Amino acid sequence: MRKILLFGWMILARTALAQPVVTPTPDQAGSPRGENTGDYNVVDSVELGYRMAIIGGDLGMYRTDVNFGDGIRLLSSNLSVNSKDGHGRWFDTIVFTTLGLGNDPYQSATLRVEKNKLYRYDMLWRLDDYYNPGLTVAAGEHFMDTTRRMQDHNLTLFPQAKVQLHMGYSRNTQDGPALSTVQLFDNSSSSLGSTFPLFSNVRTIQDQFRLGADVELAGFKLSLTHSWVYFREDESDQENGLTSGDNPSAGVNLTQFQRTAPYHGVSPYWLANLNRSSQYWAVNGRLTYVGGRGDYVLNEGAFGVTPLGAQNQQVVVGGNAARPSVTGDLSITLFPGTRLTVVNNTSVDSLRINGDSGFLQFNDATQTSNTIDFRYLGIQTIANATDLHYRVTHWLSLYGGYHYSTRRIQDIEDYTAPGTPGTDLSYEQENQQQEGLFGIRIKPLKAMTISLETDTGRANHPFTPISPRNYQALGGRFDYRVRKLTLNAAYKENYNNNSITLTSYSSRARNYNAGGSWAPYDWLTLDASYAKLHLDTVSGVAFFAGLPLTSETSEITGLNEIYISNIHAGNLIARFVVKRRVDVYLGYNITRDTGDGRNSAAPAGLAGPLSLFVPVQTFPLSYQSPLFRISVRLNPKLRWNMGWQYYNYHEDFGLESFYQGYHANTGYSSVSYSF
Amino acid sequence: MLLVSMCAPLMASDYVGSAVCKTCHADVWFNFYKNPHYKSIASGDQPPERTGCEGCHGPAKAHVEAHGGKTTIPRAFSLMEPKAVLDACLTCHARDFVKVNVRRSEHSMADVACTSCHSIHKSPVSQFLLAKTQTELCYGCHAPVRAQFSMPSKHRVNEGFMACTDCHNPHGAFAPTWRMADQPRMVEQSTGNQEPCLKCHADKRGPFAFEHPPVRVEGCEVCHYPHGSTNAKLLRRPVVFTLCLQCHNGADGFGTRNNGIDLLSSSHNMLDPRYQRCTMCHVRIHGSNSDLYFLR
Repeated sequence: MRKILLFGWMILARTALAQPVVTPTPDQAGSPRGENTGDYNVVDSVELGYRMAIIGGDLGMYRTDVNFGDGIRLLSSNLSVNSKDGHGRWFDTIVFTTLGLGNDPYQSATLRVEKNKLYRYDMLWRLDDYYNPGLTVAAGEHFMDTTRRMQDHNLTLFPQAKVQLHMGYSRNTQDGPALSTVQLFDNSSSSLGSTFPLFSNVRTIQDQFRLGADVELAGFKLSLTHSWVYFREDESDQENGLTSGDNPSAGVNLTQFQRTAPYHGVSPYWLANLNRSSQYWAVNGRLTYVGGRGDYVLNEGAFGVTPLGAQNQQVVVGGNAARPSVTGDLSITLFPGTRLTVVNNTSVDSLRINGDSGFLQFNDATQTSNTIDFRYLGIQTIANATDLHYRVTHWLSLYGGYHYSTRRIQDIEDYTAPGTPGTDLSYEQENQQQEGLFGIRIKPLKAMTISLETDTGRANHPFTPISPRNYQALGGRFDYRVRKLTLNAAYKENYNNNSITLTSYSSRARNYNAGGSWAPYDWLTLDASYAKLHLDTVSGVAFFAGLPLTSETSEITGLNEIYISNIHAGNLIARFVVKRRVDVYLGYNITRDTGDGRNSAAPAGLAGPLSLFVPVQTFPLSYQSPLFRISVRLNPKLRWNMGWQYYNYHEDFGLESFYQGYHANTGYSSVSYSF
Repeated sequence: MLLVSMCAPLMASDYVGSAVCKTCHADVWFNFYKNPHYKSIASGDQPPERTGCEGCHGPAKAHVEAHGGKTTIPRAFSLMEPKAVLDACLTCHARDFVKVNVRRSEHSMADVACTSCHSIHKSPVSQFLLAKTQTELCYGCHAPVRAQFSMPSKHRVNEGFMACTDCHNPHGAFAPTWRMADQPRMVEQSTGNQEPCLKCHADKRGPFAFEHPPVRVEGCEVCHYPHGSTNAKLLRRPVVFTLCLQCHNGADGFGTRNNGIDLLSSSHNMLDPRYQRCTMCHVRIHGSNSDLYFLR
């Protein structure tokens, strides 16, 4: 009995490490034996409590980052029912867990019901309250306050048989108020256009149905799945009343706007997998076909006044889009002997996207235009990777690999006006990438592992200026693990240089981390970790600019956009148990980006194109969160818990004149009942 | 001696049955009916090498005769090489579709064996016999990822709303169908061959008549950090226009036209704050059905 209790405490200590959110109180997993009811054993735990939050500073940013509020919550619950002989009448296992029910922003529930040999049912339900004022990305005009609900149901019949049947259903919805923006009335001219905020009612629903089977025959395992994914988006936007928009100097006023744009899509897919393994080899192949299709209509009406006079514009768009794709993989693994593993994998993926968008725009005052556009995008990728792992001795391993991939992209852009031939412009490009990697792993002691690895690659025609072209990675790792002490340290750097004649891009990322966990006694655990994530990038940019703002613009070239980030992340945790009754948890987490070390966002007097980049080339900030939790055992089944967590977010410079700093005291008090 | 013991053929006559094991290992046996592996005992129709204690550890005759000792157990997992552990577990679990890539997974190649993450006898979590909570397991090796999930803008993994396995398959995955089919190598794809992000962010799936090509070619990571970021919306840069200008610079050889990704229009005076918020007008930046430039 004592062993079991000790084990329970030990587990508590070790699971506490990744608990940066103060609730729920870690379950007394491992220690409760449950109660026997008939042929079943029942283990249950429930934590019910009150959560509070006192927030100062920018409430919007707090809700974006943290979002915990006040109120009574079922902070967590855990129910397990197990048949003692594995021959229950209707079920052998029920596992039911919940988290945050009762208005927490992050809620979930899981359920597994299982009857040996007959069925297994899994359910996962989740809810996420998403709030984002969108200040730094759209000056608050892309505010969102939506709720996402997701549920997954999976039923397997005959889970231990050689022929298994699978059925599943998933639903994913998002709804709630939001803001969006629309650019009217002229999309091509800055002098006649303005951007207007719009109230938007987000409403998306995705339903997925799955049907499949696993068959085991003559040593082969075949998995076959057919699924249908239905997606609906019925968003509507509207604006009533006089609005001058974000560009008052343009003299554009919108008096009324409405838009409806329903979109319905379906993505049916087939997935087949065949695999077999033996003593010296294994082979695994899959084939996937996804046929995506979407149909849509957009009806938009805008009424307003511009310097050219009254505007009465209606846009009607209808059409479809299709994206069939086929993917195949074949993986062959050889293990001739116990020391050598050789894996070769070949993948082929073909994707094409096309569609017709009939665009009909009426401008009642001036003109009527009627065009048809579509774009074809085809992507074919073939990749082959060979990896080798050789265990020279029990303390030395070598591994290496060579990866080759080739990708072809085709693009057709068409513009057609009634009565005129289409332009039908087509383009094609290919990219070949070769990559080699090598690593060595040494175990000088049973508890110690040292790994060194390098990875280098070349691509001859990357798709974007920031894609990998000439890249390399170097890394090293040290691990020491014994029963009461864990130490680790690692370093990894990634360099990518993508320079061509007119522009250049290079990025350097260097990550350092070290950590340790020490559990000298059953009642004491200490954890600490530190990571430094460094990133600097240089990108050649070209754009148009001019001062004063109303003057003609000129092309600016020869400038580099530099971004430097130096993130330091630390984590300290101490946990101890007093007289087996009181469990105390202390934690501190900090993220600090020191940026490039400067003291102000931009030097005084900065003007011209440099004033565009210098203030945003670095974004120093700090985000820290100390927490404290105490859990007192009142009797073997009842505990009282209390916790406090403080959040402090501070931006050193702010962005676009927004300072979104906040501080918040959050806490809870709860009672846990378990048996 | 250990090697000899482990390589010795497993003889049918050497199986003694789980009832013998519980004589000494009562602490393991006591709650074993709650263990998923108990199914093999409950079924009662499995051969000795596929049921009970000896189904995993091998025939116990020598162990019993020696009155215990780890070295007399044919398969004592704490003493076994990672590959041997994997082989033992795959004897039964190779049939699971989610594990079909385990042989070529990054974890297997890095000698991360099944028992590195799973605790068969003393799991503290309610499902999958994990040795610790899932985040704790993953953070134990992936410390930079832990730092990312502690940043202000992040997916809600620490809060319990999501788990690493929503996007990743720790048992290995098929090659990604974006980028150059090289990285990331352990992601669980949505609808068979699409980015895992689309499982939840269904409105970004499309298909759209006008796709933003890098989304399909390079994947969401071209603009976003999937784990966490110090920037809003998990973006790679604190403000949007610096992200866009990195690619939209007209440099020859890039983009779908093979002659540079479109330079911004000359009507876009970048010193005017209105043009620094690109997505204020290009609201459908992930793809649009109505406008080539993602305006509606």
